[in-house]
Amino acid sequence: MLFNTAHFFLFLAVVLALFYASPRALRKYILLAASYFFYGSWNYRFIPLLLTLTAIDYTAGIWLEKVAPGPRRKAVLTLSLCANLGFLGFFKFYNFLGSNLAWVLDKPAHAFFLNIVLPLGISFHTFQSMSYVIDVYRGEQQAVRNPIDYALFICFFPQLVAGPIVRAGNFFHDLWHWQPPSSEDVSRGVLLIALGLTKKMAFADQFAKVANAYFQNVSGNPGWLAAWSGVVAFGMQIYFDFSGYTDMAIGIAKLLGFHFPVNFRQPYLASSITDFWRRWHISLSTWLRDYLYISLGGNRRGRWMTYRNLMLTMLLGGLWHGASWNFVIWGGYHGALLSLERVFRGGRPVREDWNWLYPLKAIVTFALVMIGWVFFRAADLPQSLQILRQMFRGRGHLILAAWHIELMLIALVLAIAEEKFEWFERLLKAPMLAYASALALIFLCIEIFGVIDASIPFVYFQF
Amino acid sequence: MAIAPSPPLAITPARKRSRIALILLLACLLLFGLDALLFRTGLYCQILEPDSSAGLLELTLWREKAAQQKAGDNLVVTLGNSRMGYSPKGVDQRARLTGYVVRTAAIPGSDPRSWYYLLRDLDPTARRYRAIVFGVDNYDDEDSAFEPDDDIRALHYCIARLRLSDTIEFARSFHSPAIQWEAFRGALLKGIALQSDIQAFLSHPRKRIDLVRLCHRGWPGWTYDYVESSRNMAGLQIDWSTLKATYPPGITEEQKSSVGSFLLHEPNPQTGRLARFMRTWLGRTADRYRTSRTKVIFIRLPRGPIPRPDYLVKKRSSSIRELASRPNVILANEHLFDSLEHPEFFKDAMHMNRDGVERFSAMLADEVARLLGPPDERAAR
Repeated sequence: MLFNTAHFFLFLAVVLALFYASPRALRKYILLAASYFFYGSWNYRFIPLLLTLTAIDYTAGIWLEKVAPGPRRKAVLTLSLCANLGFLGFFKFYNFLGSNLAWVLDKPAHAFFLNIVLPLGISFHTFQSMSYVIDVYRGEQQAVRNPIDYALFICFFPQLVAGPIVRAGNFFHDLWHWQPPSSEDVSRGVLLIALGLTKKMAFADQFAKVANAYFQNVSGNPGWLAAWSGVVAFGMQIYFDFSGYTDMAIGIAKLLGFHFPVNFRQPYLASSITDFWRRWHISLSTWLRDYLYISLGGNRRGRWMTYRNLMLTMLLGGLWHGASWNFVIWGGYHGALLSLERVFRGGRPVREDWNWLYPLKAIVTFALVMIGWVFFRAADLPQSLQILRQMFRGRGHLILAAWHIELMLIALVLAIAEEKFEWFERLLKAPMLAYASALALIFLCIEIFGVIDASIPFVYFQF
Repeated sequence: MAIAPSPPLAITPARKRSRIALILLLACLLLFGLDALLFRTGLYCQILEPDSSAGLLELTLWREKAAQQKAGDNLVVTLGNSRMGYSPKGVDQRARLTGYVVRTAAIPGSDPRSWYYLLRDLDPTARRYRAIVFGVDNYDDEDSAFEPDDDIRALHYCIARLRLSDTIEFARSFHSPAIQWEAFRGALLKGIALQSDIQAFLSHPRKRIDLVRLCHRGWPGWTYDYVESSRNMAGLQIDWSTLKATYPPGITEEQKSSVGSFLLHEPNPQTGRLARFMRTWLGRTADRYRTSRTKVIFIRLPRGPIPRPDYLVKKRSSSIRELASRPNVILANEHLFDSLEHPEFFKDAMHMNRDGVERFSAMLADEVARLLGPPDERAAR
């Protein structure tokens, strides 16, 4: 049930109707049932897995609160983390490790191969669950007593399959002190859903057609113009696809009275890679910072340890996306760029001042991010290297149509306007006619540019 | 975009719901307004790609509307698809000898559904023409592998002609639910059906505008003077017992492929869908002219370089013969053009070549004049 289908909107309408028509005490049960139904509509066979992970971490939370600080407490945490990472590792990395082991042992590539189907959203709900257990261990979060509440935290349908990764503290605050969404929440939710839908259907899916055509036939599109246009098309696809999904998730949650964190903040306007990671998939980058980078020592143990921690965090962040050397290289590439920036910046904080140098820095950052996407999207390492060679060789031809470039320019103007003037916030406070006109324009954009018949799945659903 | 926590406003849930419902309703109305402004006022239709289905239909409509101004009252128009291929100049010059002006509004790839919507705007009073001549493949309804009632191209041909009130009826005229839905949403929000046209326009707006202007200057002349290809199928032989063709030397793959697709096949299962389709759309057209001075004439086009033998053709019904019982409907002799069904007169399995077209044009002009009788002398003056 993709977010951009009529089936999903029908499902959402039924859930909203049932949710608000029911007595307050029943509402979380409705959300829980709806969430399992939503997950089951993808593949009901993985519901027991979801329930098992939920039971393990629910029990671990309560256990951690009962056990006094010391080795036993640490053992409970380790047990929970091992269970989470064990499931994640088996489903996501077994075949990757198996193929590498086969290579080391000089056995056929498929010697240890198992036909494993990746459970939808496992990377997201595992990280969400782990953050809860770590927060309880650190004493930053009370253990949840009600299993229904905890199960809902793990499987809440708006963010179950592709985030944003919600922190336990925020979620349970919304759940336990639930307030009906304010008028502004509703306006915000509706606008976010419409905007997310447009990002997905009118932008991401249109760029996906170009990117898919390029990456499926790299040799047939030689030259730097073709390579850069194919890679930029993917850069646009992944941004609009993922941020579109997140906007819809946040918007749907708003309509249900929940408040999810912002996940994207005009990332392609970033003036450095450090800045980029403060704007891109914010819920993952802050998760990695809080639970990995800081746990490794962060920047408190000298320069070299900082670089090592950055590299390790980004390498694992890359690996989180998928089991392939391409993701490891993508993570390592970003880790290296972050470390390099730190070398040049020294101890000075990242500056985001909009001055005459800013556009140049933003263009360089954009180009570096695009080069990184080559590893993210290419089928394997040889194809990545082939594309990288093509990006700096020959001329070729542009594979983006002029109207694709016009779409990018519209997006750029809107992003700059949001960055400088916060049009989104202004729109929420604008008179009803202005708000409705903006919605109508968004719908018109879907009408004219939306990919309506082709079903292009969300990129992050594979993670 | 920043999502700051917002203080709840003192609005009751019922008011909140009605406010958001009002906003959504307003947004939908504005969307329909924008769509109507762009695609129902003729604003965008002026710059449709001339080489697209919609653009071709609009150009034809524009050209024939202009021709109506110059022609007298003895005006005849022909409708059909690419098989209704004749020399507009040839037929017109021949027809003028008999006192009639014969124009063509035939559009390659179009079907009776498109003809209905085209004719509705070409002849809004249903009285402008002395006759409307439909060129059809056959008077019998033989279902083929192609399903005309599910041909979504009709949406793209008629898109600029569809009115809001047509939406449901037009969508329901398709057979399968998926196509009905596609037709419904396209007819309701025309931007969806015109997506690729708009995207191509946005890529090269200047070029498109120049092309449209060029077509408006030259298209009537280009089409009037059009001369068909002289290549032919002479030497083509078909063994109907084995459904194998022997091709003469020099024949192209394209010609062979057309023979394979249109001639060398066993009869398809007869579902009656073609009959329903023809009855609906040609019937509606005939009904428009029930009380008019305009005659509706059907002619059976030359069937091909070698017609399929009768034992391979399923004849379960004949919607066109049924239509002949209606007022003002005339059926031309079914075998009138049998003499043209020779490989020498065809450029492929479906379309006549230059020689075929020339002969057909003269025969058509004569037949129309014969069926209509002497033209109205006062009108001709």
